[in-house]
Amino acid sequence: MRKTTPLSRFGLHATLVALVVWSVLPFVWTFQTSIKFTRDVAAKKPVLWGYETTANAYKAFWLDADDINMWSVLVYILAVAAICFVLGQIGRRVRHGWPWFLGVAGVIFAALWRFPKIWEANDEYDFLINSIVVTVLTMLISLSIGLLAGYGLARYTGISGAVILIIALGFRALPRTAFVLPYFFGAKEIDDWLTRTGVGSWNFPLIDFPGIDTLQILDTRLAIVLALVAVNQPFTIWMFRSFFMEVPKEIEEAAMMDGATRLQAFRKVIIPMMWPAIIATGLFTMLLAYNEYLFVRVLAPTEWTLPVAIVSLTGGESSRTITEAAAASVSITLPIVVVIILFQKHLVKGLGAGAVKG
Amino acid sequence: MSTVTLDKLTKVYPNGFQAITDLSLTLSEGEFLVLVGPSGCGKSTALRMIAGLEDISSGDLYVGERRLNDVPPKDRDIAMVFQSYALYPQMTVAENIGFPLKLRKVAKKDRSQQVQQAAQILELTEQLESKPSMLSGGQRQRVAMGRAIVRKPALFLMDEPLSNLDAKLRVQMRADIAAIQSDLGVTTFYVTHDQVEAMTMGERVAVIKDGVLQQVAPPEELYAHPDNVFVAAFIGSPSMNLYEARLSAADDGGHLLQLGDHRLAVSPSLMNNRPALARYVDQPLVVGIRPEDLEDAAVAPDHPADQRISAKIEVREALGAETLMHFSIAAPTVDSGDPDALDELGEEDTGRCTARFSAATRARVGDQIEINVDTDHLHFFDPATHEAIRS
Ligand SMILES: Nc1ncnc2c1ncn2[C@@H]1O[C@H](COP(=O)(O)OP(=O)(O)OP(=O)(O)O)[C@@H](O)[C@H]1O
Ligand SMILES: [Mg+2]
Repeated sequence: MRKTTPLSRFGLHATLVALVVWSVLPFVWTFQTSIKFTRDVAAKKPVLWGYETTANAYKAFWLDADDINMWSVLVYILAVAAICFVLGQIGRRVRHGWPWFLGVAGVIFAALWRFPKIWEANDEYDFLINSIVVTVLTMLISLSIGLLAGYGLARYTGISGAVILIIALGFRALPRTAFVLPYFFGAKEIDDWLTRTGVGSWNFPLIDFPGIDTLQILDTRLAIVLALVAVNQPFTIWMFRSFFMEVPKEIEEAAMMDGATRLQAFRKVIIPMMWPAIIATGLFTMLLAYNEYLFVRVLAPTEWTLPVAIVSLTGGESSRTITEAAAASVSITLPIVVVIILFQKHLVKGLGAGAVKG
Repeated sequence: MSTVTLDKLTKVYPNGFQAITDLSLTLSEGEFLVLVGPSGCGKSTALRMIAGLEDISSGDLYVGERRLNDVPPKDRDIAMVFQSYALYPQMTVAENIGFPLKLRKVAKKDRSQQVQQAAQILELTEQLESKPSMLSGGQRQRVAMGRAIVRKPALFLMDEPLSNLDAKLRVQMRADIAAIQSDLGVTTFYVTHDQVEAMTMGERVAVIKDGVLQQVAPPEELYAHPDNVFVAAFIGSPSMNLYEARLSAADDGGHLLQLGDHRLAVSPSLMNNRPALARYVDQPLVVGIRPEDLEDAAVAPDHPADQRISAKIEVREALGAETLMHFSIAAPTVDSGDPDALDELGEEDTGRCTARFSAATRARVGDQIEINVDTDHLHFFDPATHEAIRS
């Protein structure tokens, strides 16, 4: 260990402080904007302090929507709390069986699904539901695929495994913009086919959701989820693969000698060792899905998620609504901050080396 | 508890490497058999084939009457202790030990009772609620044992279970494992690269080299009558001194062993006991001398004068009860083929020789002394095949 002089320690801290300020500044700026009056925001010379504060923008975003409904606010808070609770349960590794987990997930999902029917008048909640559905589904699907594929690729050492990994890395390296149009046209082709053949207007009892008459891909949450899963998959596969590489092969072999099938060994021994990795990867996936703008904008012209909705409804940076846009941004960031704080310990563990070692 | 039969087991890895060749062994019921060999000789491969973690390329494996070649590991009723212990880090000690029972759907009450029992045997009762990361190496080792003994399997497999422990603990655990095994009476197949462990623990010891079985015998037999040069050198510490030598007829009707510059009179009884030696008269052969068959002539002056060699002491290791002496004799040494034996003393010479003198010896480094050779206990091997010349 090199000895630290006071000077080098000062330098280190100064650098860290500078970095923190640099990363936090935009958020602080947004927050300030959200509590200012429009005149201060629109001032030629930025008003940095000493301005008069107001909660008007928040009021406008939360309460002065088309149809003022305090219930909606309550439900929003409850929904967020419920989801945080469920994630918290998983995070604390409280052992409930899969049926319990699926049951809770199902209840929450069903509740969210019915939201727009109950509070139909209020658009923001629709977007919130879209955001939650897209985020949760993207997380579930990409984590499941990532876990299985990562495990397979960690254990299989043949040449085709390496090829798959390199291809995945290649796709990860490509700019995301490159995928948007192909996805759009792909989805459009499918929709055209559905219309042309009439398959789209068949009645399927199970997916005959209220408010959906014809089957289509474009402009649905499904389109967004599929695209986001595809975009995110290389990341989850690589993450999980590197975590699985750290799990000694002997552990699952020991489980098999103890009487487990390979699947049982995976489920009962390997997965429980992977929670830090699952949480870390899950959080990154959540951020990706929750914050996504471009894909939603293109693939879902009306089924917006929150980021698109905010930009579209507030007219972006027009000075008239900029405080409202800022308030909305701050508001939709809060649930994420809560989740991150809840899982911060696991996140650090998951990203640190040797996360799964005994 | 069952007999275990390996019939010409062969393992060829996908890359074409043949790790095990025609391994045939039979373990009788309740036997403790140790498979020993230098590292990389295929011990783990053999064990993993029995466990079902590696496919058997050819040959048959039976436990009792049951052919296990195509049975998945979980259905083989075999328990294995891994070198790395492979404990489940997120489970407590109790959960680790109880895991095999849980998979067998043993009721919770019976399970905790059986876990308790296993913990008692292994002195782990205090640690039952700890996680493996909080345990010492010896305790982890015992948890791994616990996981194996908690269900009564047909066969225990142990792959160098003690190699991660420090020397003192290892000696203690050796005794503990042997005691537990004989209490439970479960047939055990134990792998190690440590010949001392093999000799002290095994009822029988199987020596393997480059995937080929060399000899299977009880430890004393293995030590006294090694089948070939490799076994002779591998078993015993310090290992047997091996030289190229020549046997010739002496004028008096007896025989002389020509060992470099040295000549040793070979007693007639030795020639009578091993008639096959007669064929090697005036032929090259390999002679092996155990370190304890050499003694300082000053300590044992009664030894026949024509069964002595003279040498200069180079290194002296006083061990208390005995003293190891290293010196050179001008005879070419023989390579036993043990890759691990690369020069304990780091010198690459011909005629390196180690002797185990009694502690009474006065000899010091640099002394030129006379050394008695117990010719009755010499070992002879064919120089071409390295097989023992016995009958
Ligand atoms: N999956 C594999 N593919 C190809 N060769 C292998 C494989 N596993 C092991 N080998 C080779 O087979 C030989 C025997 O390996 P094995 O692990 O059985 O040796 P070992 O006697 O257990 O050694 P150690 O004492 O070091 O544990 C080695 O030369 C090794 O390189
Ligand atoms: Mg091995």
